[in-house]
Amino acid sequence: MNSLTLEEKLRVVKMMGEFIPHTSGLGVELHSIEDGELTLRLPYQQQLVGDAETGVLHSGALTVLLDQTLGLSAVCSNDIAPSVTPTLDLRIDHLGIAPPGSDIFATGKVLRATRKILFVDGFAWCDAPDKPIARATGTWVRVMDIDLEWIKSMGRGSA
Amino acid sequence: MSLAELIGRDPDATTLKLWLEKIPYAVYLGMEAELHDNDILFRLPPDDKLIGNASLPAIHGGVVGAFMELAGSIHLVAHMKKPVLPKIINFSLDYLRASRLQDTWARCEVIRQGRQIANVTVTAWQEDPANPNATARAHFLIAEPENSKENSNVPLET
Repeated sequence: MNSLTLEEKLRVVKMMGEFIPHTSGLGVELHSIEDGELTLRLPYQQQLVGDAETGVLHSGALTVLLDQTLGLSAVCSNDIAPSVTPTLDLRIDHLGIAPPGSDIFATGKVLRATRKILFVDGFAWCDAPDKPIARATGTWVRVMDIDLEWIKSMGRGSA
Repeated sequence: MSLAELIGRDPDATTLKLWLEKIPYAVYLGMEAELHDNDILFRLPPDDKLIGNASLPAIHGGVVGAFMELAGSIHLVAHMKKPVLPKIINFSLDYLRASRLQDTWARCEVIRQGRQIANVTVTAWQEDPANPNATARAHFLIAEPENSKENSNVPLET
């Protein structure tokens, strides 16, 4: 059971993002949380380009964004308590190519949670969520629950 | 020299270095490649900007995957004797343990190279190749340039 409000989920995702140096350095940020679905945004940048002649981002940058989005989407699920969840496996299908110059969005949602394992689906898109450039599916392991009281107390401090 | 021209050459240590320098993302990651007994060993040196978990500290899992994906495509190009840039179709990654902030190595194997599709496996480790940190499998489209251009957005409809 997840008794986090939307506001608390937004705060936890932002806070966890700040503790991840690699993606905070790349400017990956929270786009939205809606119906237990998390969307993050990766800004287009030259250093992530895979093909210098076309300016298309390397598929590996998508792997980073999807791993992070699907992993953090565990916090946004309404069915489970937020937990620390390392990735067990991840599969990505590259359905298309991100247009050069476009930011990339990734959306993830927990499909099913068992006591130990989270089954998560997601996809990446540029122009519109219904035009995915990649789809992803993976499993995450729940190693330890995050202290809800601690999360709530953070909010009280700043309110 | 363009990357397409470079991949027509046999992969000696210098060519591998030049390939990596032509890929901005490989430069950003700081990836290197070495030749050992006709096999290519890829190395990802530790770098603070690659950290995913600051408290361990551990390299971001996605970065380990990206490194393995790059290794797989370069290994494939080096072994297929065909001046084509592979396009990734899909990638499946198993994480076996967290990757600490130290050298990460990768070795690849072309399991099958068909006329249009190649299946490549990648193993990544840190201290001991027998205790891998992650294993991966990638499918690449390796159609000729004139075909791959037409089909670049629909890799499977060939």
